[in-house]
Amino acid sequence: MCFKNLPVEFDSQGKPFLREGIRDPYGTGTATPSGGPRQLTPDKIEELLRRNGHVKALDFDPVTRVAGALAFHSVADFENRKVLEARSVATLFRGYEVIMVGRDPRDAIYITSRACGVCGGVHSTCSALAIEMAIGCCPPPLGVLIRNLALALEFLYDHPLHLHLLAGPDYSQVIVEPTNPSLYEKAKTAECRYTAIHGFRTMADLMTDLNPLSGKLYLEALHMTRVAREAYVLICGKYPHPQTIVPGGMSSTINLTVMNEMLVRLSQFFDYSKKLALIWEDITQFFYAANPEYKKVGARRANMIDTGIFDHPDAYDATYENADAWGNRRWATPGAIVDGKLVTTDLKKINMGLEEFVDHSFYAEWTGEGKQQHFATDPSGNPLSPHHPWNKVTRPRPQGQNWKEKYTWDTTPRWDRLGMEAGAYARLWNTAVARKMPENPFIESTGHSLKMRLPAGALPETEIEWTVPDVWNAFERNRARAYCQAFTTLVAFNQWLAAMEILKSGNARTSTPFHIPTKGEQRGVGFWGAGRGYLTHHLTLDRGAVSNYQIVTPSTWNASPTDRWGQPGPYEEAVLNTPLLEETNDPKKFRGLDVLRAIRSFDPCMPCTTHIQSEGGLITREVNTCACGLDD
Amino acid sequence: MTETDRVIVSGVGYPDLSDYSVGIVVIEELTTWSPPGNVVVEDLSYNPIAVVQRFQDEAPDRRFTRAVFVSAVTRPSRVAGTVKCYRWDGALPGEEDIQRAVTDGVTGIIALSNTLVIAEHFGALPDEVVVVEVEPQSNEFGAGFSPPVAAAFDRVCELMKTFATDGDAVARLPLEPLDYAISPGWGLTVQ
Repeated sequence: MCFKNLPVEFDSQGKPFLREGIRDPYGTGTATPSGGPRQLTPDKIEELLRRNGHVKALDFDPVTRVAGALAFHSVADFENRKVLEARSVATLFRGYEVIMVGRDPRDAIYITSRACGVCGGVHSTCSALAIEMAIGCCPPPLGVLIRNLALALEFLYDHPLHLHLLAGPDYSQVIVEPTNPSLYEKAKTAECRYTAIHGFRTMADLMTDLNPLSGKLYLEALHMTRVAREAYVLICGKYPHPQTIVPGGMSSTINLTVMNEMLVRLSQFFDYSKKLALIWEDITQFFYAANPEYKKVGARRANMIDTGIFDHPDAYDATYENADAWGNRRWATPGAIVDGKLVTTDLKKINMGLEEFVDHSFYAEWTGEGKQQHFATDPSGNPLSPHHPWNKVTRPRPQGQNWKEKYTWDTTPRWDRLGMEAGAYARLWNTAVARKMPENPFIESTGHSLKMRLPAGALPETEIEWTVPDVWNAFERNRARAYCQAFTTLVAFNQWLAAMEILKSGNARTSTPFHIPTKGEQRGVGFWGAGRGYLTHHLTLDRGAVSNYQIVTPSTWNASPTDRWGQPGPYEEAVLNTPLLEETNDPKKFRGLDVLRAIRSFDPCMPCTTHIQSEGGLITREVNTCACGLDD
Repeated sequence: MTETDRVIVSGVGYPDLSDYSVGIVVIEELTTWSPPGNVVVEDLSYNPIAVVQRFQDEAPDRRFTRAVFVSAVTRPSRVAGTVKCYRWDGALPGEEDIQRAVTDGVTGIIALSNTLVIAEHFGALPDEVVVVEVEPQSNEFGAGFSPPVAAAFDRVCELMKTFATDGDAVARLPLEPLDYAISPGWGLTVQ
């Protein structure tokens, strides 16, 4: 039974039902999920701040080197080097869910793409999937494969960006040497294990090339993002907002020339993937060996969620009814992991367990007061919460910030009422453990690891293996993300090979004609993923127009605030568990590096239409950017 | 200017964001112009790192010697529709601010300040950079400008043509820094 907190049970045929005899099955008091650290009350924090000179408020506003606008409030005890309070604050509202209401569903492909300046394609695709389910339209095999390929290429842009532009500098010489001089001294003599692949002799050499703006790894990442972009635009027209994603497949023309040009670029990632994985192996192993306390940086329970990604053309039929079957044939397996154990790979169970709350968010509640929930069940007749996205109504209510009440524009998604985290690593974890991925020559799911055989480039053919870790923290997030580059490259190569076989058979069709119904009510959900992990778009159509549109992104999960049961959101939990390891006792010299490592390891992706405030509190400019973090 | 000098005339902005799209719309308008052979008209409203790479792709003997940029830029106390032209002095902010600009750039922000700072940091810009700023009023979604920006539009197009072709006019422009903030800095306060 995958649900421990929701009152959902299963009959002998595996059909879910609500436990009988519960007056309010989805009420707050039905279950009391527990585990993880607790926030101190705001009153207690105030008292500690007042009475102890070594307790200080640390406010990061904005958190730099992340996409978009994230602020983080924490209170730290400098004497005991621990964090007492952690509050994740998405500072702005983006409003895509509101914008979408009343529109033609096809608009969603173009409008929701603008939710992100990195991963527009995943939003477009997720929209297309939701529409396909709502209107009953399935792409032809080549359309499925090319869609997979396009999104894999988008991730090949995204992963290096996270690893060497955003998170990577936290492990660079210019950051480590001044904040942890003794650690950097060790790095000067610590020999790397994987010099033969990445070329760095000592950890200090490696750290120097992680330096922002000038380090070779930083500059190489910028170059590799170009390679991925070039391949992507061959099939998507432009980046980051593709022009060729449609319900029922892709509108791009695929021929041998396009495929060859794509391969020229894709093959450059064979060697780069080897380097990335083994660079982050060396970084992780060095920090663990130098100080085991680093295993606590960003640590939290291994509670994760992912919807899987990369459909199999023989399985995907765009129906909700068969979502379990086609979901389990995906190249990346869907799954929910609770305390390190995979509890389901069924997309319908993942969907049934999803709820969104707004207790600490700048939104008004839409349930209660005798309001009827719109959908009591999913399209297969399985029970749904009134807090499920298909029942949610987005009602923004801007107001003052108060840690006791409301403090963020992010909502609080929970699965089985647990704080789950989303990331590319959940993709690896599910796929490694479930052993359901399609048979192929390059990737093997062993039940506890993923073995990946990367073809020869300038470097020889190399097998690397990502193993499910026994601790979960900032280092493991980054290490897994690095292996995800290899995983993504090899999934893309498999799609390329399969697409070539279809082309050889003379079938170059990439899309299926579709019709938007103008009568009745339909609903669909796109189960997809961003480079950062989990992504769903829940859509309801009424007489041909969108009547409800709900987006849950990876950062909606990760940046979520403390919930009504007192469970902190993933960033908050990770920071509460983080020791302060900088080698200074002077709060004025303190840079909050380990807190930042914890937060950045999630690859936060925050809102658009951002008002950046200067120190004087003045709005200095307006920008539009990635909006993955906010409720829409 | 010699026959081998090459000039790029470009706009930076977001599409369909009323006044904030002025950079893009000016470049669209200039595509109907038949400039001299040494002038390239091109929209550069995309990832500034890709802009750097686009400049670096020019063969060494074909590098641009002047770039003329147009964009909507908001400055305090300036009347909507104000057009300001200057030669950028190329002065860069500190490394943390440049890093911030790169982060913003690769995660989707299209802003003239980012494009200039990043391109200059990576040595991609020509020696001579002319900036034409238009003070916006409306940031509503959709096509069309506010009345003050609409009134300035034709003049902006003519200025772009002038700065593309008339080196003397460029030389008369003041040399100025970018005087608006790139980044609020490290962002940590300890209280």
